[in-house]
Amino acid sequence: MKRTLGLLLLVLVLTLAPQVGYADEVIKIGVFEPMTGANAAGGEMTVEGIELALEIKGEVLGRKVEIIVVDNKSDKVESANAVSRLIEKDKVVAIIGSYGSSLSMAAGDIVKKAEVPAVGCSPTNPLVTLNNDYYFRVCFIDPFQGTVMARYAVNELGAKTAAVIQDVTQDYSVGLSKYFIDAFRELTGDKNSIVELSSYNTGDQDFTAQLTNVKNKKPDIIFAPGNYGESALLIRQARDLGIDVPFLGGDTWEAPEFLSIGGDAVEGAVFSTHFTAEAPVTSESGVFLAAYRNKFGKEANAFAALGYDAYMLILDVMEKAGSADSQAIRDGLAEVKGFVGATGVINLDENGDAVKSAVINKVDGGKFIYLTTVEPD
Amino acid sequence: MKIKEKSSVTLLILLALTIVGLFLANKFLDSYKIRIITLSGIYITLGLSMNLINGFTGMFSLGHAGFMAIGAYTVGILTMPIPMKEMNFFMQPIAPFLANVEWGFLPALLAAGIIAGLAGFVIGAPVLRLTDDYLAIATLGFAEIIRVVFTNTQSLTNGALGLKGIPNYTNIWWSWGIAFVTIWFMTVLMKGSYGKAFLAIREDEVAARSMGINLFKHKVMSFSFGSFFAGVAGGLLAALLGTIDPNMFRISLTFNILLIVVLGGLGNIVGTAVSALVVTIMMEALRFLDESINLGFIQLKGIPGMRMVVFSVILIAVVLIRREGALRKAKRV
Repeated sequence: MKRTLGLLLLVLVLTLAPQVGYADEVIKIGVFEPMTGANAAGGEMTVEGIELALEIKGEVLGRKVEIIVVDNKSDKVESANAVSRLIEKDKVVAIIGSYGSSLSMAAGDIVKKAEVPAVGCSPTNPLVTLNNDYYFRVCFIDPFQGTVMARYAVNELGAKTAAVIQDVTQDYSVGLSKYFIDAFRELTGDKNSIVELSSYNTGDQDFTAQLTNVKNKKPDIIFAPGNYGESALLIRQARDLGIDVPFLGGDTWEAPEFLSIGGDAVEGAVFSTHFTAEAPVTSESGVFLAAYRNKFGKEANAFAALGYDAYMLILDVMEKAGSADSQAIRDGLAEVKGFVGATGVINLDENGDAVKSAVINKVDGGKFIYLTTVEPD
Repeated sequence: MKIKEKSSVTLLILLALTIVGLFLANKFLDSYKIRIITLSGIYITLGLSMNLINGFTGMFSLGHAGFMAIGAYTVGILTMPIPMKEMNFFMQPIAPFLANVEWGFLPALLAAGIIAGLAGFVIGAPVLRLTDDYLAIATLGFAEIIRVVFTNTQSLTNGALGLKGIPNYTNIWWSWGIAFVTIWFMTVLMKGSYGKAFLAIREDEVAARSMGINLFKHKVMSFSFGSFFAGVAGGLLAALLGTIDPNMFRISLTFNILLIVVLGGLGNIVGTAVSALVVTIMMEALRFLDESINLGFIQLKGIPGMRMVVFSVILIAVVLIRREGALRKAKRV
């Protein structure tokens, strides 16, 4: 008995010893993402990108990097708890996350108080970084995306009138619609160029009421940002009703489900997104795409690319600052200029928002086809 | 008489010990642990308020998230600094009568409770004619209606964008202070004639009515009190997080509280309080189940959501084996 115990003890010591040896050398970066709940799919894609980045570049300043992923259950209260835990228990120096603007906002006050910088991957609501010196993001925000689509509609499609159908329960949909409307009115110089603004709720299945209204107004294009599921259904029903004008949307449409639910109906749908696998925007895109294909055996998506960029950006800032101290990282992030990421060249403005190009994709032959890249002003 | 004195002395000692414990926790623990303890206080209030409606009066109501939403938005809008309001409402300006309002925390919390309580009264009056499943569906519908209304009233609530920058007033003392007030209120209420009437209604409505208990009055009263405390707790939660949005107040929030009430035992004040504390702490403590576990010789990859399975198992076990709740004596109150 004693010998077995002794042996066990020896094994324990041996397995624990190396870990203890370099424990204080490791740089810890916290990740809080929705791994369960309503936003789980988005969170999972983002974490894939971050894990890939860790594999490619697992060391900085001669120290190993460790990522600690915690689940925020797509829940605001849990999100705040998760971030608090990363800071206090795991003592991370920087934080990445989260998919979903409201989940990121729940973390805002905590990172600000603890003075630990956070980099969001895909929260596009302007409120996330507003009035918070410790929150940054590598994606563009709703105002830019809405403006881009309005410009595309007016300049490329020659649209004079538009109808907007928004998902009133989703912050990004409401935000995108608002900025699309503002920009469209300005570009056309016509206050009445938005002929209809309709709303629906997440989970709705029947959009005929909204679409019949829209049909009567005869718009040149329809802007309908929303979740891929509802949007695909909406477009199908529009085609069934005989509405044949182009549909425009936002980055959430970039999902295989959008194609499978929409089928033939979504052919020709155009949307703005962060990234395309087809036309690498930078040299880093090529590296990322190849590595992603290699590891996961499928084409990369925008959320993985943004997760990858958030991680790489933090490491780059650490390298430049020559320090893994939270405050140094924050100061470095505030001055990011011309960082070459997989999703484009990233500059962070005074709010901590990324100023970068947007990609416009089109559905063609059951695939997402790259159309053009729109540079920021 | 002697027994009564003895039990109140024990209660006082328990109270003093808890306060000392909270004081020590506040002083020596890190902000993560303090946050969890603060959250537990809020869940105690929530659990007890739901217990009053579901446990004591026997009305199966699922509208709690709705009342919390009312309380949270009341506190959020009333306490938010004026410049922050302008920043938040960038889509559509805030309604003029709210634009220049900035209240202290206590009046805002009271307002949250009163408005939620009034909503409870208004909803309760027609809906409480229903019983059992029908009541559950009606109250569930009500909570959803509140959420949809808040999503669509852009100039009042900022719609789906939510509110950000609500001052973080909630600390360990606010949340536990309110929790103690709630425990005290529930104890006094249940000892008095109203409490006895609630229990009578739960046991047998016909018998209670034939004994001269005004069913309608007592049901509405229980429902409004429950809503009041749900509103206050919602306000505390808003000030703890500093940000709220309508999607927070989904049915899953109600189920979280229901889990606490069922585990603690329907109609058990102490049980509910303890179960609120335990569930909140366990929800965080069990996070290691989500992570990958290194046993030295084998690396088990973590499955996100494993910790939720534990709660499901406990819930099933309690419902099957100890329906009176994990902490409850076999005798009913």
